[in-house]
Amino acid sequence: MTKVVIIDMDDAIRSVIIGPTGPEHRHQANEVMKAALENMQVPFERIEYCVATGYGRINVPFADRQITELTCHARGVAHSFPGVRTAIDIGGQDAKGLKIKDGKLLDFVMNDKCAAGTGRFLEVLSEKLGIAVEDLGSMSMKSQQKVTISSTCTIFAEQEMISYLSEGTSVEDIIAGLHDAIASRVVRMVKRLKIEPDVVLTGGVAKNIGVVHAVQETVGLDIHVPDNPLISGALGAALLGKEIFLQAKERNETLERKKRQLEDTVTFYT
Amino acid sequence: MAYSLGIDIGSVTSKGVIVDGNEIVAHTVIPSGMNYREAANRLRDDLREKSRISFEDIRSIASTGQGADRVEFSQKKIDNIRCCARGIRSVFESVKTVIDVQGQLSQVIRINEHGRVSGFVVSEKCAAGSGRFLQIIANILRVDLNDIGELSLRAQNPVTFTTGCAVFSESEAISRVSEGFSKEDILAGVHRSIANKISVLVDRIGMEQEVAITGGGGLDIGLIAAIEEKVGITLKVPDNPQIITALGAAIMAAEV
Repeated sequence: MTKVVIIDMDDAIRSVIIGPTGPEHRHQANEVMKAALENMQVPFERIEYCVATGYGRINVPFADRQITELTCHARGVAHSFPGVRTAIDIGGQDAKGLKIKDGKLLDFVMNDKCAAGTGRFLEVLSEKLGIAVEDLGSMSMKSQQKVTISSTCTIFAEQEMISYLSEGTSVEDIIAGLHDAIASRVVRMVKRLKIEPDVVLTGGVAKNIGVVHAVQETVGLDIHVPDNPLISGALGAALLGKEIFLQAKERNETLERKKRQLEDTVTFYT
Repeated sequence: MAYSLGIDIGSVTSKGVIVDGNEIVAHTVIPSGMNYREAANRLRDDLREKSRISFEDIRSIASTGQGADRVEFSQKKIDNIRCCARGIRSVFESVKTVIDVQGQLSQVIRINEHGRVSGFVVSEKCAAGSGRFLQIIANILRVDLNDIGELSLRAQNPVTFTTGCAVFSESEAISRVSEGFSKEDILAGVHRSIANKISVLVDRIGMEQEVAITGGGGLDIGLIAAIEEKVGITLKVPDNPQIITALGAAIMAAEV
Protein backbone atom coordinates (compact mmCIF):
# COMPACT_ATOMS: atom_id res chain seq x y z
CA MET A 1 0.00 0.00 0.00
CA THR A 2 1.04 3.59 -0.60
CA LYS A 3 0.14 6.10 2.09
CA VAL A 4 0.17 9.90 2.18
CA VAL A 5 -0.04 11.88 5.41
CA ILE A 6 -0.11 15.68 5.39
CA ILE A 7 0.34 17.48 8.72
CA ASP A 8 0.22 21.12 9.68
CA MET A 9 2.75 23.02 11.81
CA ASP A 10 0.93 21.90 14.97
CA ASP A 11 1.47 18.25 14.04
CA ALA A 12 -2.23 17.79 13.37
CA ILE A 13 -3.02 15.32 10.64
CA ARG A 14 -4.84 17.17 7.85
CA SER A 15 -5.09 14.55 5.15
CA VAL A 16 -4.62 10.79 4.93
CA ILE A 17 -4.84 8.71 1.78
CA ILE A 18 -4.10 4.99 1.48
CA GLY A 19 -4.05 3.30 -1.92
CA PRO A 20 -2.70 0.07 -3.35
CA THR A 21 0.92 0.32 -4.53
CA GLY A 22 0.76 -1.80 -7.66
CA PRO A 23 3.72 -2.33 -9.95
CA GLU A 24 4.14 1.32 -10.97
CA HIS A 25 5.46 3.17 -7.92
CA ARG A 26 5.92 6.53 -9.62
CA HIS A 27 2.46 6.46 -11.07
CA GLN A 28 0.93 5.56 -7.75
CA ALA A 29 2.87 8.23 -5.85
CA ASN A 30 1.34 10.86 -8.12
CA GLU A 31 -2.13 9.41 -7.81
CA VAL A 32 -2.22 9.28 -4.00
CA MET A 33 -0.63 12.72 -3.70
CA LYS A 34 -3.26 14.16 -6.00
CA ALA A 35 -6.01 12.55 -3.91
CA ALA A 36 -4.47 13.79 -0.64
CA LEU A 37 -4.33 17.36 -1.91
CA GLU A 38 -7.88 17.22 -3.23
CA ASN A 39 -9.02 15.80 0.06
CA MET A 40 -7.48 18.72 1.92
CA GLN A 41 -8.37 21.37 -0.66
CA VAL A 42 -4.94 22.99 -0.79
CA PRO A 43 -2.64 23.64 -3.74
CA PHE A 44 0.58 21.61 -3.91
CA GLU A 45 2.71 24.76 -3.42
CA ARG A 46 1.50 24.99 0.16
CA ILE A 47 3.35 21.80 1.06
CA GLU A 48 6.56 23.13 2.58
CA TYR A 49 8.52 19.92 2.65
CA CYS A 50 7.95 16.40 1.44
CA VAL A 51 9.68 13.25 2.73
CA ALA A 52 9.31 9.83 1.09
CA THR A 53 9.91 6.53 2.89
CA GLY A 54 9.35 2.80 2.39
CA TYR A 55 10.61 0.38 -0.25
CA GLY A 56 9.57 2.68 -3.10
CA ARG A 57 10.87 5.92 -1.59
CA ILE A 58 13.22 6.65 -4.50
CA ASN A 59 10.26 6.47 -6.85
CA VAL A 60 8.49 9.54 -5.52
CA PRO A 61 9.33 12.23 -8.08
CA PHE A 62 8.28 15.20 -5.92
CA ALA A 63 9.93 14.12 -2.64
CA ASP A 64 12.50 16.56 -1.26
CA ARG A 65 14.21 13.89 0.78
CA GLN A 66 14.18 10.14 1.36
CA ILE A 67 14.39 8.68 4.85
CA THR A 68 14.42 4.96 5.69
CA GLU A 69 11.18 3.40 6.86
CA LEU A 70 12.68 2.33 10.19
CA THR A 71 13.55 5.88 11.22
CA CYS A 72 10.18 7.19 10.04
CA HIS A 73 8.33 4.38 11.66
CA ALA A 74 9.97 4.91 15.05
CA ARG A 75 9.12 8.60 14.86
CA GLY A 76 5.51 8.00 13.83
CA VAL A 77 4.84 5.41 16.52
CA ALA A 78 6.46 7.54 19.22
CA HIS A 79 4.23 10.44 18.19
CA SER A 80 1.09 8.37 18.82
CA PHE A 81 2.52 6.61 21.91
CA PRO A 82 5.31 8.65 23.53
CA GLY A 83 6.12 5.82 25.97
CA VAL A 84 6.77 3.22 23.28
CA ARG A 85 9.84 1.04 23.79
CA THR A 86 9.00 -1.81 21.44
CA ALA A 87 7.18 -1.46 18.14
CA ILE A 88 6.06 -4.48 16.17
CA ASP A 89 5.07 -3.85 12.58
CA ILE A 90 3.44 -6.63 10.56
CA GLY A 91 3.03 -5.58 6.96
CA GLY A 92 1.88 -7.38 3.88
CA GLN A 93 5.33 -8.62 2.90
CA ASP A 94 7.53 -8.25 5.94
CA ALA A 95 7.58 -7.93 9.71
CA LYS A 96 9.80 -5.75 11.85
CA GLY A 97 10.57 -5.27 15.49
CA LEU A 98 11.88 -1.87 16.60
CA LYS A 99 13.50 -0.92 19.85
CA ILE A 100 12.73 2.72 20.54
CA LYS A 101 13.73 5.18 23.23
CA ASP A 102 12.55 8.79 23.35
CA GLY A 103 11.27 8.47 19.83
CA LYS A 104 14.65 7.36 18.49
CA LEU A 105 15.41 4.01 16.91
CA LEU A 106 17.95 1.99 18.95
CA ASP A 107 17.85 -1.39 17.23
CA PHE A 108 15.67 -3.49 14.99
CA VAL A 109 15.03 -7.01 13.69
CA MET A 110 13.34 -7.80 10.44
CA ASN A 111 11.99 -10.63 8.32
CA ASP A 112 11.39 -10.10 4.64
CA LYS A 113 12.72 -13.46 3.50
CA CYS A 114 9.92 -15.77 4.55
CA ALA A 115 6.17 -15.29 4.11
CA ALA A 116 5.38 -16.88 7.49
CA GLY A 117 5.00 -14.18 10.12
CA THR A 118 3.94 -11.54 7.58
CA GLY A 119 0.54 -10.47 6.33
CA ARG A 120 1.16 -12.65 3.33
CA PHE A 121 0.68 -15.74 5.49
CA LEU A 122 -2.89 -14.69 6.34
CA GLU A 123 -3.55 -13.50 2.80
CA VAL A 124 -2.62 -16.86 1.25
CA LEU A 125 -4.49 -18.93 3.82
CA SER A 126 -7.65 -16.80 3.95
CA GLU A 127 -7.85 -17.03 0.17
CA LYS A 128 -7.77 -20.82 0.48
CA LEU A 129 -10.58 -20.62 3.01
CA GLY A 130 -12.53 -18.29 0.73
CA ILE A 131 -12.72 -15.66 3.45
CA ALA A 132 -11.87 -11.96 3.10
CA VAL A 133 -8.80 -10.97 5.14
CA GLU A 134 -10.88 -8.19 6.74
CA ASP A 135 -13.24 -10.77 8.26
CA LEU A 136 -10.58 -12.96 9.88
CA GLY A 137 -10.42 -10.93 13.11
CA SER A 138 -14.11 -11.02 13.98
CA MET A 139 -14.42 -14.68 12.96
CA SER A 140 -11.52 -15.77 15.14
CA MET A 141 -13.12 -14.14 18.16
CA LYS A 142 -15.92 -16.69 17.88
CA SER A 143 -13.52 -19.59 18.23
CA GLN A 144 -14.39 -22.09 20.96
CA GLN A 145 -11.35 -24.31 20.84
CA LYS A 146 -8.55 -23.04 18.68
CA VAL A 147 -6.27 -25.47 16.89
CA THR A 148 -2.48 -25.54 16.96
CA ILE A 149 -0.78 -24.98 13.63
CA SER A 150 2.63 -26.60 14.06
CA SER A 151 4.14 -25.73 10.67
CA THR A 152 6.08 -22.54 10.31
CA CYS A 153 6.08 -22.53 6.51
CA THR A 154 2.98 -21.02 4.88
CA ILE A 155 2.82 -23.87 2.38
CA PHE A 156 2.94 -26.55 5.05
CA ALA A 157 0.48 -24.63 7.23
CA GLU A 158 -1.92 -24.68 4.30
CA GLN A 159 -1.76 -28.48 4.27
CA GLU A 160 -2.27 -28.61 8.00
CA MET A 161 -5.25 -26.31 7.64
CA ILE A 162 -6.78 -28.53 4.96
CA SER A 163 -6.41 -31.62 7.10
CA TYR A 164 -8.13 -29.81 10.00
CA LEU A 165 -10.95 -28.86 7.64
CA SER A 166 -11.31 -32.46 6.49
CA GLU A 167 -11.53 -33.54 10.13
CA GLY A 168 -14.49 -31.20 10.51
CA THR A 169 -12.80 -28.53 12.63
CA SER A 170 -14.67 -25.22 12.51
CA VAL A 171 -13.27 -22.42 10.36
CA GLU A 172 -13.30 -20.09 13.38
CA ASP A 173 -11.05 -22.46 15.36
CA ILE A 174 -8.67 -22.78 12.43
CA ILE A 175 -8.44 -19.01 11.94
CA ALA A 176 -7.71 -18.53 15.64
CA GLY A 177 -4.92 -21.11 15.24
CA LEU A 178 -3.49 -19.20 12.27
CA HIS A 179 -3.46 -16.00 14.34
CA ASP A 180 -1.53 -17.78 17.08
CA ALA A 181 0.92 -19.08 14.48
CA ILE A 182 1.67 -15.66 13.02
CA ALA A 183 1.90 -14.12 16.52
CA SER A 184 4.33 -16.73 17.79
CA ARG A 185 6.52 -16.42 14.70
CA VAL A 186 6.72 -12.63 14.92
CA VAL A 187 7.13 -12.49 18.69
CA ARG A 188 9.94 -15.07 18.57
CA MET A 189 11.80 -12.73 16.23
CA VAL A 190 11.09 -9.55 18.22
CA LYS A 191 12.18 -11.24 21.46
CA ARG A 192 15.74 -10.96 20.17
CA LEU A 193 15.42 -7.26 21.08
CA LYS A 194 14.10 -7.94 24.59
CA ILE A 195 10.51 -6.77 24.60
CA GLU A 196 9.81 -3.89 26.99
CA PRO A 197 6.60 -1.90 27.51
CA ASP A 198 5.02 0.06 26.02
CA VAL A 199 4.50 -2.31 23.14
CA VAL A 200 2.81 -0.95 20.02
CA LEU A 201 1.56 -3.05 17.13
CA THR A 202 1.24 -1.47 13.68
CA GLY A 203 0.98 -2.42 10.01
CA GLY A 204 -2.00 -3.74 8.10
CA VAL A 205 -2.15 -6.89 10.21
CA ALA A 206 -2.71 -4.76 13.34
CA LYS A 207 -6.20 -4.10 11.98
CA ASN A 208 -6.95 -7.74 12.72
CA ILE A 209 -8.28 -7.89 16.28
CA GLY A 210 -7.56 -11.63 16.41
CA VAL A 211 -3.85 -11.10 15.78
CA VAL A 212 -3.75 -8.24 18.31
CA HIS A 213 -5.16 -10.58 20.96
CA ALA A 214 -2.80 -13.40 19.94
CA VAL A 215 0.24 -11.09 20.14
CA GLN A 216 -0.95 -9.80 23.51
CA GLU A 217 -1.27 -13.34 24.82
CA THR A 218 2.12 -14.39 23.44
CA VAL A 219 4.00 -11.33 24.71
CA GLY A 220 2.17 -11.18 28.03
CA LEU A 221 2.00 -7.38 27.97
CA ASP A 222 -0.65 -4.87 26.92
CA ILE A 223 -0.50 -4.14 23.22
CA HIS A 224 -1.31 -0.65 21.97
CA VAL A 225 -2.62 -0.15 18.45
CA PRO A 226 -2.85 3.29 16.82
CA ASP A 227 -6.19 4.42 15.38
CA ASN A 228 -4.79 4.02 11.92
CA PRO A 229 -2.06 1.36 12.15
CA LEU A 230 -1.09 1.67 8.48
CA ILE A 231 0.16 5.24 8.49
CA SER A 232 2.86 5.25 11.18
CA GLY A 233 5.69 5.34 8.63
CA ALA A 234 4.13 8.11 6.55
CA LEU A 235 3.24 10.09 9.68
CA GLY A 236 6.84 9.78 10.90
CA ALA A 237 8.06 10.98 7.51
CA ALA A 238 5.77 14.01 7.73
CA LEU A 239 6.95 14.84 11.27
CA LEU A 240 10.61 14.51 10.28
CA GLY A 241 9.90 16.67 7.23
CA LYS A 242 8.44 19.38 9.43
CA GLU A 243 11.52 19.28 11.68
CA ILE A 244 13.85 19.63 8.72
CA PHE A 245 11.83 22.57 7.44
CA LEU A 246 11.70 24.39 10.80
CA GLN A 247 15.39 23.81 11.47
CA ALA A 248 16.33 25.32 8.12
CA LYS A 249 14.02 28.25 8.73
CA GLU A 250 15.61 28.91 12.11
CA ARG A 251 19.10 28.88 10.60
CA ASN A 252 17.97 30.94 7.66
CA GLU A 253 19.06 28.23 5.23
CA THR A 254 17.30 27.63 1.96
CA LEU A 255 16.11 24.12 1.53
CA GLU A 256 16.42 22.47 -1.80
CA ARG A 257 12.97 21.50 -2.91
CA LYS A 258 11.61 19.58 -5.83
CA LYS A 259 9.15 21.18 -8.17
CA ARG A 260 5.66 21.05 -6.72
CA GLN A 261 4.19 19.40 -9.76
CA LEU A 262 2.44 16.11 -10.33
CA GLU A 263 3.55 14.18 -13.38
CA ASP A 264 1.02 13.37 -16.02
CA THR A 265 -0.06 9.95 -15.07
CA VAL A 266 0.40 7.20 -17.57
CA THR A 267 -1.88 4.23 -17.25
CA PHE A 268 -1.82 0.96 -19.09
CA TYR A 269 -5.55 0.89 -19.45
CA THR A 270 -6.19 3.76 -21.82
CA MET B 1 11.66 -68.60 -1.98
CA ALA B 2 12.13 -66.03 0.74
CA TYR B 3 11.40 -62.54 -0.36
CA SER B 4 11.25 -59.42 1.72
CA LEU B 5 9.24 -56.27 1.26
CA GLY B 6 10.01 -52.65 2.05
CA ILE B 7 7.25 -50.06 2.18
CA ASP B 8 8.02 -46.33 2.25
CA ILE B 9 4.93 -44.18 2.82
CA GLY B 10 5.96 -40.62 1.99
CA SER B 11 3.96 -37.42 2.26
CA VAL B 12 3.54 -37.25 -1.50
CA THR B 13 4.28 -40.72 -2.92
CA SER B 14 4.42 -44.22 -1.49
CA LYS B 15 6.93 -46.76 -2.65
CA GLY B 16 7.14 -50.53 -2.36
CA VAL B 17 10.07 -52.78 -3.21
CA ILE B 18 10.31 -56.60 -3.08
CA VAL B 19 13.82 -58.00 -2.88
CA ASP B 20 15.39 -61.39 -3.02
CA GLY B 21 18.55 -60.82 -1.00
CA ASN B 22 19.88 -57.58 -2.43
CA GLU B 23 18.21 -58.02 -5.80
CA ILE B 24 15.12 -56.02 -6.68
CA VAL B 25 12.35 -58.35 -7.86
CA ALA B 26 9.52 -55.83 -8.14
CA HIS B 27 8.89 -52.20 -7.28
CA THR B 28 6.14 -49.63 -7.54
CA VAL B 29 5.45 -45.95 -6.84
CA ILE B 30 1.96 -44.59 -6.20
CA PRO B 31 0.55 -41.27 -4.92
CA SER B 32 0.01 -41.39 -1.13
CA GLY B 33 -3.27 -39.52 -1.11
CA MET B 34 -4.92 -38.51 2.16
CA ASN B 35 -5.09 -41.96 3.74
CA TYR B 36 -1.76 -43.65 4.43
CA ARG B 37 -3.33 -46.95 5.46
CA GLU B 38 -5.13 -47.16 2.17
CA ALA B 39 -1.92 -46.25 0.32
CA ALA B 40 -0.13 -49.16 2.00
CA ASN B 41 -2.87 -51.58 0.98
CA ARG B 42 -2.85 -50.29 -2.59
CA LEU B 43 0.93 -50.75 -2.71
CA ARG B 44 0.56 -54.34 -1.58
CA ASP B 45 -2.09 -55.09 -4.22
CA ASP B 46 -0.10 -53.34 -6.90
CA LEU B 47 3.05 -55.33 -6.09
CA ARG B 48 1.14 -58.58 -5.95
CA GLU B 49 -0.14 -57.98 -9.44
CA LYS B 50 3.20 -56.81 -10.83
CA SER B 51 5.37 -59.52 -9.32
CA ARG B 52 2.97 -62.47 -9.25
CA ILE B 53 4.52 -63.28 -5.90
CA SER B 54 2.11 -64.58 -3.30
CA PHE B 55 2.19 -62.82 0.05
CA GLU B 56 2.91 -66.10 1.80
CA ASP B 57 6.31 -66.12 0.12
CA ILE B 58 7.22 -62.80 1.65
CA ARG B 59 9.01 -63.57 4.91
CA SER B 60 9.75 -60.16 6.22
CA ILE B 61 8.16 -56.76 5.81
CA ALA B 62 9.45 -53.40 7.06
CA SER B 63 7.88 -49.98 6.74
CA THR B 64 9.41 -46.52 6.80
CA GLY B 65 8.57 -42.92 5.94
CA GLN B 66 6.01 -40.53 7.34
CA GLY B 67 3.21 -43.12 7.25
CA ALA B 68 5.27 -46.07 8.55
CA ASP B 69 2.84 -46.55 11.47
CA ARG B 70 -0.12 -46.96 9.16
CA VAL B 71 1.17 -50.06 7.41
CA GLU B 72 -0.92 -52.70 9.14
CA PHE B 73 0.91 -55.67 7.68
CA SER B 74 4.38 -54.36 8.57
CA GLN B 75 6.52 -56.41 10.95
CA LYS B 76 8.86 -53.60 11.91
CA LYS B 77 9.37 -49.91 11.44
CA ILE B 78 12.76 -48.56 10.46
CA ASP B 79 13.90 -44.95 10.41
CA ASN B 80 13.92 -43.52 6.86
CA ILE B 81 17.46 -42.19 7.12
CA ARG B 82 18.93 -45.62 7.87
CA CYS B 83 16.83 -47.12 5.08
CA CYS B 84 18.02 -44.50 2.59
CA ALA B 85 21.67 -45.10 3.52
CA ARG B 86 21.27 -48.85 3.29
CA GLY B 87 19.40 -48.65 0.00
CA ILE B 88 21.95 -46.45 -1.71
CA ARG B 89 24.87 -48.62 -0.54
CA SER B 90 23.25 -51.65 -2.12
CA VAL B 91 23.29 -49.80 -5.44
CA PHE B 92 26.54 -47.82 -5.13
CA GLU B 93 28.98 -49.44 -2.72
CA SER B 94 31.28 -46.49 -2.28
CA VAL B 95 28.80 -43.69 -1.65
CA LYS B 96 29.63 -41.69 1.50
CA THR B 97 27.12 -38.85 1.20
CA VAL B 98 23.48 -38.90 0.10
CA ILE B 99 21.42 -35.87 -0.91
CA ASP B 100 17.81 -36.97 -0.51
CA VAL B 101 15.31 -34.55 -2.06
CA GLN B 102 11.76 -35.51 -1.20
CA GLY B 103 8.35 -34.00 -1.83
CA GLN B 104 8.29 -32.10 1.46
CA LEU B 105 11.82 -32.11 2.78
CA SER B 106 15.46 -32.39 1.87
CA GLN B 107 18.19 -34.11 3.83
CA VAL B 108 21.86 -34.84 3.58
CA ILE B 109 23.07 -38.12 5.06
CA ARG B 110 26.70 -39.08 5.77
CA ILE B 111 27.66 -42.76 5.66
CA ASN B 112 30.87 -44.13 7.21
CA GLU B 113 33.13 -46.84 5.85
CA HIS B 114 31.06 -49.54 7.56
CA GLY B 115 27.93 -48.39 5.76
CA ARG B 116 26.46 -46.86 8.92
CA VAL B 117 24.87 -43.45 9.16
CA SER B 118 27.41 -41.15 10.80
CA GLY B 119 25.39 -37.95 10.63
CA PHE B 120 22.53 -36.23 8.88
CA VAL B 121 20.84 -32.88 8.55
CA VAL B 122 17.21 -32.36 7.59
CA SER B 123 15.44 -29.29 6.25
CA GLU B 124 11.74 -29.79 6.85
CA LYS B 125 10.54 -26.46 8.20
CA CYS B 126 10.39 -24.71 4.86
CA ALA B 127 8.90 -25.78 1.54
CA ALA B 128 11.52 -23.94 -0.48
CA GLY B 129 14.20 -26.62 -0.24
CA SER B 130 11.91 -29.45 -1.26
CA GLY B 131 10.12 -30.82 -4.28
CA ARG B 132 7.06 -28.91 -3.17
CA PHE B 133 8.60 -25.67 -4.41
CA LEU B 134 9.02 -27.16 -7.90
CA GLN B 135 5.45 -28.39 -7.84
CA ILE B 136 4.16 -24.89 -7.07
CA ILE B 137 6.15 -23.24 -9.85
CA ALA B 138 5.40 -26.03 -12.37
CA ASN B 139 1.75 -25.43 -11.62
CA ILE B 140 2.02 -21.71 -12.41
CA LEU B 141 3.90 -22.39 -15.62
CA ARG B 142 1.50 -25.19 -16.51
CA VAL B 143 4.27 -27.65 -17.21
CA ASP B 144 4.36 -31.31 -16.27
CA LEU B 145 6.73 -32.17 -13.41
CA ASN B 146 8.35 -34.77 -15.66
CA ASP B 147 9.31 -32.12 -18.21
CA ILE B 148 10.88 -29.51 -15.94
CA GLY B 149 14.35 -31.03 -15.97
CA GLU B 150 14.83 -30.83 -19.71
CA LEU B 151 13.18 -27.43 -19.98
CA SER B 152 15.45 -26.04 -17.28
CA LEU B 153 18.58 -27.25 -19.05
CA ARG B 154 17.59 -25.17 -22.07
CA ALA B 155 17.55 -21.92 -20.09
CA GLN B 156 19.46 -19.00 -21.61
CA ASN B 157 19.25 -16.55 -18.78
CA PRO B 158 18.11 -18.09 -15.46
CA VAL B 159 15.92 -15.91 -13.27
CA THR B 160 17.24 -14.96 -9.83
CA PHE B 161 14.76 -15.24 -6.98
CA THR B 162 15.33 -12.62 -4.30
CA THR B 163 14.18 -14.70 -1.33
CA GLY B 164 14.33 -18.38 -0.47
CA CYS B 165 10.60 -18.47 0.30
CA ALA B 166 8.28 -20.54 -1.90
CA VAL B 167 5.36 -18.16 -1.34
CA PHE B 168 7.31 -15.04 -2.26
CA SER B 169 8.96 -16.88 -5.16
CA GLU B 170 5.55 -17.86 -6.49
CA SER B 171 4.63 -14.17 -6.85
CA GLU B 172 8.04 -13.42 -8.31
CA ALA B 173 7.57 -16.19 -10.87
CA ILE B 174 4.21 -14.73 -11.87
CA SER B 175 5.79 -11.29 -12.33
CA ARG B 176 8.59 -12.80 -14.44
CA VAL B 177 6.03 -14.59 -16.61
CA SER B 178 4.21 -11.32 -17.23
CA GLU B 179 7.52 -9.62 -18.03
CA GLY B 180 8.07 -12.19 -20.74
CA PHE B 181 10.71 -14.46 -19.19
CA SER B 182 10.62 -17.98 -20.61
CA LYS B 183 9.50 -21.04 -18.68
CA GLU B 184 12.99 -22.41 -19.14
CA ASP B 185 14.61 -19.42 -17.43
CA ILE B 186 12.14 -19.46 -14.55
CA LEU B 187 12.55 -23.19 -13.94
CA ALA B 188 16.32 -22.90 -14.03
CA GLY B 189 15.99 -20.15 -11.42
CA VAL B 190 13.94 -22.42 -9.18
CA HIS B 191 16.49 -25.20 -9.57
CA ARG B 192 19.26 -22.83 -8.54
CA SER B 193 17.23 -21.64 -5.59
CA ILE B 194 16.71 -25.22 -4.33
CA ALA B 195 20.36 -26.05 -5.04
CA ASN B 196 21.35 -23.10 -2.83
CA LYS B 197 19.27 -24.45 0.04
CA ILE B 198 20.77 -27.91 -0.39
CA SER B 199 24.26 -26.52 -0.51
CA VAL B 200 23.64 -24.89 2.88
CA LEU B 201 22.72 -28.33 4.26
CA VAL B 202 25.84 -29.87 2.70
CA ASP B 203 28.00 -27.16 4.25
CA ARG B 204 26.48 -27.81 7.65
CA ILE B 205 27.15 -31.55 7.74
CA GLY B 206 30.09 -31.72 5.34
CA MET B 207 30.49 -34.24 2.56
CA GLU B 208 32.75 -36.96 1.37
CA GLN B 209 32.85 -38.40 -2.14
CA GLU B 210 31.13 -40.22 -3.66
CA VAL B 211 27.86 -38.32 -3.44
CA ALA B 212 24.52 -39.72 -4.61
CA ILE B 213 21.10 -38.16 -5.02
CA THR B 214 17.90 -39.97 -4.03
CA GLY B 215 14.21 -39.18 -3.73
CA GLY B 216 11.96 -37.64 -6.37
CA GLY B 217 14.54 -34.87 -6.84
CA GLY B 218 16.81 -37.48 -8.43
CA LEU B 219 14.39 -37.73 -11.36
CA ASP B 220 14.93 -34.08 -12.26
CA ILE B 221 18.00 -33.60 -14.45
CA GLY B 222 17.70 -29.84 -14.16
CA LEU B 223 17.92 -30.02 -10.37
CA ILE B 224 20.80 -32.50 -10.56
CA ALA B 225 22.74 -30.15 -12.84
CA ALA B 226 22.05 -27.18 -10.54
CA ILE B 227 23.23 -29.07 -7.44
CA GLU B 228 26.33 -30.35 -9.24
CA GLU B 229 27.21 -26.82 -10.30
CA LYS B 230 26.53 -25.23 -6.90
CA VAL B 231 28.27 -27.87 -4.78
CA GLY B 232 30.98 -28.58 -7.34
CA ILE B 233 30.59 -32.36 -7.55
CA THR B 234 29.30 -35.07 -9.85
CA LEU B 235 26.28 -36.84 -8.43
CA LYS B 236 25.70 -40.55 -8.74
CA VAL B 237 22.11 -41.11 -9.75
CA PRO B 238 20.45 -44.51 -9.25
CA ASP B 239 18.08 -45.81 -11.94
CA ASN B 240 15.13 -45.43 -9.61
CA PRO B 241 16.04 -42.68 -7.13
CA GLN B 242 12.54 -42.60 -5.62
CA ILE B 243 12.57 -46.20 -4.37
CA ILE B 244 15.97 -46.23 -2.63
CA THR B 245 14.54 -45.80 0.87
CA ALA B 246 11.95 -48.55 0.29
CA LEU B 247 14.76 -50.72 -1.08
CA GLY B 248 16.78 -50.16 2.08
CA ALA B 249 13.72 -51.07 4.17
CA ALA B 250 13.26 -54.28 2.19
CA ILE B 251 16.89 -55.32 2.68
CA MET B 252 16.84 -54.49 6.40
CA ALA B 253 13.50 -56.25 6.88
CA ALA B 254 15.23 -59.61 6.37
CA GLU B 255 17.90 -58.84 8.96
CA VAL B 256 17.30 -59.60 12.61
